[in-house]
Amino acid sequence: MNTVKINYKNLYFPPGGILMWIIIFLELITFGMALIAFAIYGSEEPSLFHQSRLQLNSTFGAVNTVFLLTSGFFMANAVHEFKEKNLKKSSLYFKLTMLGGVLFLILKSIEYYHKIESGITIDSNTFFAFYWLLTGFHLIHVVMGLVILVWTNHGMMKNNSDTEVADVEACAAFWHMCDLIWLLLFPVLYLIF
Amino acid sequence: MKKTLLLNYGLLIILTVTTAFLSNYTSITNVAVNLILVASAFKFIIVAFQFMELKKANAFWKVSVIFVLFLIITPILLLINNS
Repeated sequence: MNTVKINYKNLYFPPGGILMWIIIFLELITFGMALIAFAIYGSEEPSLFHQSRLQLNSTFGAVNTVFLLTSGFFMANAVHEFKEKNLKKSSLYFKLTMLGGVLFLILKSIEYYHKIESGITIDSNTFFAFYWLLTGFHLIHVVMGLVILVWTNHGMMKNNSDTEVADVEACAAFWHMCDLIWLLLFPVLYLIF
Repeated sequence: MKKTLLLNYGLLIILTVTTAFLSNYTSITNVAVNLILVASAFKFIIVAFQFMELKKANAFWKVSVIFVLFLIITPILLLINNS
């Protein structure tokens, strides 16, 4: 295991790596532009957006936020333990991180099921078109993040593992990006209209 | 487990519960909307700076994240307050 110290103050070496941060910025800008478009439509049809927002279960949204934040907390601890060379502890935190992600997916699936059962689809109105697209794209990121977590955890626990701190940090940065996007989606979709 | 991470996690949970409570149990006024969005922006900064360890990074990355967050939140705040 290579744990060479990285100089994070160097412009080219942010924690997680410069390429991961470029992806994070692109994702934030893309989701951000969609949220601004959502707010523009919301300001044009405030009563439709208010009625539609009331059909969302904000408790589900809040619990899912707690799942993702808890998962992110365990991820940060996993990186910390990896740097301290406590591989077993780090792996345990990786697994707890994945559990948070899986719980998020389960609750989101229940929420989607209720919406489909109530006849709320992407065609229902502008609000729900944004709801399905934004939460759906976010969900794909969470699934992708889980695959990266499983892969990284498997790689670091192998005998003669060549997993480095930079690899674990890049994996963590992607997972935290899912948190960041959700922290923008949750209030705008579930709370403010 | 780092104590600072635990403290930040506690703060994030408190802010999440508070914003959900604000939305569910008060009529949604412009003040409540502003509070919810500012709290969310604060949570975003805690995750980026503490969990993602951006606090250790070059100032360029710190300023860029805050700038992008500002670019997203400000138009939404203005649109909601003017509608």
